[in-house]
Amino acid sequence: MLQRFLDPTVLAGISGLDLVARTVVDGFVAGLHRSPDFGFSQEFAEYRAYTPGDDLRHVDWNVFARTERAYLKRYRGETNCQLTILLDCSRSMKYTSHTIDKLEYARFLTASMAYLAKMQRDAAGLIVFDDEVRNFVPPSTRQGQLARLLHAIEKAEAGNRTDYDKPFSHVREFLHRRGLIAVISDFWESPEQVVKTIAPLRFHGNEVVLFHVLDPEEIRPKFRDPALLEDLESGATLEVSPEYAAKEYPAKIDAHLEDIRSRAKGAGLDYFLIDTSRPLDAALREYLAIRKGRM
Amino acid sequence: MGFFTPWFLAGAVAVGLPIWLHLLKRHKTDPKLFPSLMFFEFRETSSVKHRRLDHLLLFALRTLLILLLALLFASPFIRRSAAASDGKKITVVAIDRSFSMRDGDRFARAKNQALQVLGNLKPGDQAQVIALAGQVQALTQVINDPGALRAAVVAVQPGDSRASFGELARYLRTLSEGQKMPLEVHLASDLQKSAMPPGFADLRLTPGTTLILHPVGGPDKNWTVENVVSPRRVFDPKRVKMQATISGFGTPAAKRTVTLRLNGRELQSKTVDVPENGRAQVEFLGLDAPYGFSKGEVRIDSADSLPGDDRYLFSTERTDPRKVLFIDDGRRPRAEVYFRAALDSSGDGGFQMETLRAEIASGSNLTSYAFVVLNDLASLPPMLDAALQHYVNGGGSVLVALGPGSAVLPRVPLLDEAIQTSSYAGREGERFLTVSDIDTGHPALRSVERFNGVKFYQAIHVTATKSRVLAKLNDQTPLVLERSIGEGKVLAFTSTFDNVLNDLPIHASWVPFVAQTALYLGGGGAEQPVNVAVDSYVELRTGDNKGAAAEVSDPDGKRVLSLEESVKARNYALDREGYYEIKTAAGRRSLIAAHADRRESDLAPIPVETLDLWKGTGSLDSTPGGGAPGTADTADKPWGLWPYILLLLLGVAVAESVVANGFLRPTAPQREEMKREAA
Repeated sequence: MLQRFLDPTVLAGISGLDLVARTVVDGFVAGLHRSPDFGFSQEFAEYRAYTPGDDLRHVDWNVFARTERAYLKRYRGETNCQLTILLDCSRSMKYTSHTIDKLEYARFLTASMAYLAKMQRDAAGLIVFDDEVRNFVPPSTRQGQLARLLHAIEKAEAGNRTDYDKPFSHVREFLHRRGLIAVISDFWESPEQVVKTIAPLRFHGNEVVLFHVLDPEEIRPKFRDPALLEDLESGATLEVSPEYAAKEYPAKIDAHLEDIRSRAKGAGLDYFLIDTSRPLDAALREYLAIRKGRM
Repeated sequence: MGFFTPWFLAGAVAVGLPIWLHLLKRHKTDPKLFPSLMFFEFRETSSVKHRRLDHLLLFALRTLLILLLALLFASPFIRRSAAASDGKKITVVAIDRSFSMRDGDRFARAKNQALQVLGNLKPGDQAQVIALAGQVQALTQVINDPGALRAAVVAVQPGDSRASFGELARYLRTLSEGQKMPLEVHLASDLQKSAMPPGFADLRLTPGTTLILHPVGGPDKNWTVENVVSPRRVFDPKRVKMQATISGFGTPAAKRTVTLRLNGRELQSKTVDVPENGRAQVEFLGLDAPYGFSKGEVRIDSADSLPGDDRYLFSTERTDPRKVLFIDDGRRPRAEVYFRAALDSSGDGGFQMETLRAEIASGSNLTSYAFVVLNDLASLPPMLDAALQHYVNGGGSVLVALGPGSAVLPRVPLLDEAIQTSSYAGREGERFLTVSDIDTGHPALRSVERFNGVKFYQAIHVTATKSRVLAKLNDQTPLVLERSIGEGKVLAFTSTFDNVLNDLPIHASWVPFVAQTALYLGGGGAEQPVNVAVDSYVELRTGDNKGAAAEVSDPDGKRVLSLEESVKARNYALDREGYYEIKTAAGRRSLIAAHADRRESDLAPIPVETLDLWKGTGSLDSTPGGGAPGTADTADKPWGLWPYILLLLLGVAVAESVVANGFLRPTAPQREEMKREAA
């Protein structure tokens, strides 16, 4: 029953991103049969022997007094995760073949993740980009952070064409603390270029997950007649026959998706393909799985 | 099958238009947005190969529409035999009942010939009897009733009109096209040469028309009173001079006695020598006519076989000259002289001019004058002004001449228009003004020939606000203005009549100007002639007097107009000789004398060669001297198919509209998408 509220078509009818996010997350969490406070506790995890280089602040001095051995005491969830969402709002994200476009879907996903992060006391931030960084909300756990995020997500409008180079070099400057970085985009770029641009984020110890948002028609276009196609970003036009769209294009797009997936894995990036006609839970589950891995 | 204009078939290439619309154009429009064309490639073969014609029914209809249009312009025809009506034909019996048929026994012979033709008709044969006079009269419809046809021939009587074979040919062409059957025309006539139309082309007959002539006359000697010049009105019986022309056609030189009769009374008689086949003129001095209308005739003792043209009818009216009041202040005496001379020399006008000073004229009874002339008055006594206003409101007319004297007045008398200034031109060099714009249709200016050559040196500039400008000088100064006040009218001439400010009085247009103006102001406008030929029309009303009754009494004294005709008829055709009493809707009475057209008096027949040529026009091989009857019966005749193509074209156009409406309306998903885009 609650699964119904994860359907993007239903979400499109809900006004206000906070309500959308709450609907998604509450429905999703109820489905997990787990506490929404998953991962948040001061529960003891383990002792570990001190090795040179460890931060002395984490040494358990009581144990040292008794045993004269230095141990580091570690807790589960001793530090909350920092989530930074990079939302692509290039013009191609405006495409849709059904009720909601890719940008709208990406908005729902971003809002849901931000809400989920708030519930877990995670610091969540947002970077909206196309060929420039259009908006930046630094990660924070401060009061009102969710409202700021939702406002920024709400304001994200389809802009120019995508250029990963410039925004991601900026992003690297903003990220000082390790955390989880979620890139939500349609990745209409060569896989090599995409991975080459995003992989450096991983170097600082960040977990990076690529949410590849695509419309079903982008994966399997359906043309009955020859059509004149116009590129949403460049404005270039091309006549396309239905035979090409039915045979050659699927092979090419499949190869492209496989390429981007394999290159992402190779670079240590998590990759997740999302079809905008499907509910959001799969994407959220992916996010939580990755976050769990960081605990 | 052939085409009248085959070059229009080239228009069929326009069929490429629907092909372009249905095959190519649709790919160029409505681009579909797609996020990225990264994995799409341009394939020429696939792009073209898969262009299929869509909306096949619509395409077919549009193609058909263009082809039909090209075909329509190419005017296709098929050849059909003119005798496609299974050898059937219409026999047309035409009897000439013109004035010349009164000569001897011509008319009786013509009727006999016609009856013989009708007697030869087989049962069931279709025929029509027509009479030829000024116009062709169909005496019967196209029928196969021998009794009715014979009765029509028996009943026909000779008339006074002039025959016209051009009219006959036109009627036969119309009949042939309407009936779409061959015609066999029997013409019983004296075949007068004078009945031929000016151009031989007017005699052309439709192919398939067989003309069979039954000549009933021949050259005959004939004397006639060809013309009489008589005055319309007689003011002084002793000063009347009449002239009659006596002509002989095919006649030897002879002495003829010419008699002038008036109201049945013989007034004068003269003998004249008429040369062989020539003309002679006779003059009669004095016409002792009683007051009112008189019926006159000039008669000769011709002793020929056509006595109808031995007399020439005319009418005249004895009346007193009408008085014209010329109000003058004595400063321009020559104006009076010129005006009086012009008025006296315009013979038919019958005006008698009386000159008075303004002060004296104030006390006179203006209603006894036909019209009043104000000659450049520097001042208008209030009493005279009031009297003139009353006179004009009651239907009187005034002619105002302006000059240096009246330039001091603030406004034109009676016309009530502001006087601005004088337009001057020096006498030196060629600095003078001429008339540039003139309403030549106005009765007063009809015969002045645009005042050609008249030089105007000074004119009074009047601002026309209430008046109509009839003539302007080349500096746009109004020269002649007119205004209707009450039931009367005022005409203003912004220069003088004294040959000082202009030289109009010494030009040829002066007398016609004065005469026409006098007739217009004092005589009720232009009058129609009173001595006319038979088949002339008299005007019974103009557009101004609808509803008023007109009357026409024929030569027998019978009223010929029904009640409805008397209030509606605009004109009446005088179809026989005699005197007609006319009362127009405007109330003007006249006696009109109608006489037979004297071209009918020349009994010379048409040459045989011309007749052969005429008969030949009815066959397709219209060679001179040909015209063998029956050749047209087997000839093929082009039969235009355009009406059928036009009907088909209209049907296809309607079908195309209906189908296009169904095909091109957006589908439900398209409408939804359009709504979404709009939102």
